[in-house]
Amino acid sequence: MTELRGAVVGFGKLGLLHAGLANGLSNSRLAAVVESSAVIQRVVRQYFPDVDVFATVEELIDARASDYVIVATPTGSHVSIAEKLVEASIPVLIEKPLSLNAQEAQPLVAALNRNWVPNMVGYMGRYIDTFQRAAQLLHRNVLGQVQMIRSSMYIEQLLKSGEGWRYDPATSGGGVLITQNSHVIDKLLWMFGDITGVSGNTSQLVSRLVEDHVHAHLEFASGAVGFIDASWSARHFRTPTISIHAQGTNGTLDVNDDEVRLFLDNSIGETSSGWTTWRKPDLYRPVPLDIGGTQYTFQMIDFLEAVSNHSDLDSNVVSGLKTQCVIDAVYESARRDGARVGVANLLS
Amino acid sequence: MSGVALPRIVLGHNAFFGVDHLSSQRGAERAAYFSEVENVMTVIASAVDSGAGGLMLSTHPRAAAICEALSIDARLASKLEMFPLLPYAQKYVTRANELGMVRVVTQTLAEASTRDKVGLGLDFLRTMYRRDPLDMVRALMRLELRMFRKLNVSTVFLHDALSDLLMALNLPKVFSLYQSTLRRRFGTTAGIATKNLPLLVQRFQEWGMELPVVLTHVNKVGFQVNPSQEECEKALAHPKLAVMAMGTLASGYLTPNEAYSYVNAFPSVQSIVVGTSTTHHIASTFLAIRQSVDWR
Repeated sequence: MTELRGAVVGFGKLGLLHAGLANGLSNSRLAAVVESSAVIQRVVRQYFPDVDVFATVEELIDARASDYVIVATPTGSHVSIAEKLVEASIPVLIEKPLSLNAQEAQPLVAALNRNWVPNMVGYMGRYIDTFQRAAQLLHRNVLGQVQMIRSSMYIEQLLKSGEGWRYDPATSGGGVLITQNSHVIDKLLWMFGDITGVSGNTSQLVSRLVEDHVHAHLEFASGAVGFIDASWSARHFRTPTISIHAQGTNGTLDVNDDEVRLFLDNSIGETSSGWTTWRKPDLYRPVPLDIGGTQYTFQMIDFLEAVSNHSDLDSNVVSGLKTQCVIDAVYESARRDGARVGVANLLS
Repeated sequence: MSGVALPRIVLGHNAFFGVDHLSSQRGAERAAYFSEVENVMTVIASAVDSGAGGLMLSTHPRAAAICEALSIDARLASKLEMFPLLPYAQKYVTRANELGMVRVVTQTLAEASTRDKVGLGLDFLRTMYRRDPLDMVRALMRLELRMFRKLNVSTVFLHDALSDLLMALNLPKVFSLYQSTLRRRFGTTAGIATKNLPLLVQRFQEWGMELPVVLTHVNKVGFQVNPSQEECEKALAHPKLAVMAMGTLASGYLTPNEAYSYVNAFPSVQSIVVGTSTTHHIASTFLAIRQSVDWR
């Protein structure tokens, strides 16, 4: 297989992780870095003499220095950068969330409609072994008609007002709802299908400009109802902790990072009735390289394969836009004191 | 191989800091219990009495209090070799969310300079950063290892998240700096943690560097063993390898007897780090190690 040349835009914490995978997996190497900070540019030049360093994405495109690009910049710049890459026919992996809001992502959707290239939005949580298994079970309809869905995301990240771009809505789009909790919304859409209506409230516990807590009621196109509850100011949660519970006509399913627990009234195929539990060691799949979790590796492997084959991915700009539409609707509902808001369908 | 003689049984720190690879909820409960240093010391004392010769300790914010308590307990301190694991990655990851990568380093060092008076003024740091960022790495190592200064340390492990990243980016220079800094400034040996042992062996051979003491997962179900169980087993047969095995119980998934019968197949495993949180568990686990492993 031809070795792919990867570029990373934004050499921060996640940029570095992606750079490691881009260089460490067998069919790819890190060929270029785009970074506006002069300090980081100098460090990259010093330690990676074979890697081209550019200050802007336009310079990267002009140099034809990469076969794919990973965009790991603050959220507010994702769309403009990705749009230029798509116009230049360069496959792109965009860190989540896709954009500040769904409307802002429209030029990127239009660019892909004109000139489609493999594209991915980095909802790597889909690749966590437990969530993979849960989605497989749900896609086989083992629960029957899903009726009720509870979901939560908690982390102790912010116990006093934070600084930096993540806590400025102009560059981040908002608080916990659009950052860590966007993973939950992406998972819910992936596992249970479209969300058509929401009513939600947001609260500022410690921040001045963005929400630290969100609670929202969700209506699914399938007829199921549910809620999300999320906070980044939740004590005793060392790492982001996502839990999802679903109840259907044939049983229940609970999934988090640690395990999947399934209860079925009636067996479905090879899946027995009663309780079945899969713990992490039951589901573990080895990876060629683990930097920060196997989910990032599986995501990158899928992306590189799509780049090689010029094929589509499950987590792409279209699915990322759907997540964005749900987020927008929850913010709109919160502005209207929790009134029900329909989720826009910007894809039609 | 470094030639360092490792204690056979090393007590791990995960339970003390709420790290639990099988259950986050159980991890959080243990973190609450072990927020009292006395509870940590009770477990450490029990482990020493049951035969532990070492303690692995991440540079977690709460590790300093444990080091301090150990340093005034002459009996425990004399029987324990300390194995720092640095850095405590989550501390920097969470802070980097706010400050960005460059500022998280400069701020951490600047705060330390006023708090600990280690003589690292912000301007000085900026100058160093402009000259060579590896100077910052040296300064961070000095800061992270400060809490161990009154204790017996012979090997310092680099966290797998960082070492696997450095291997992926093909940066032998950073490993060399890490090894030389530990040897010259601290008189200790460099250990490397990894989640991909075969890659480590391959890289160090390509770089012409002596194999370090390695901390890696060894368990019969292959949990967190990469790139495959088979390739890791082959790598474990390397004649010049000295391994401290972690994850032997696959986070409580395996029974001690089945776990250690498997580990016994690999003579390169010279030491086992076990994270336990109760005196009862310590006694039964250490007994299983003694019964199952023929140290060769």
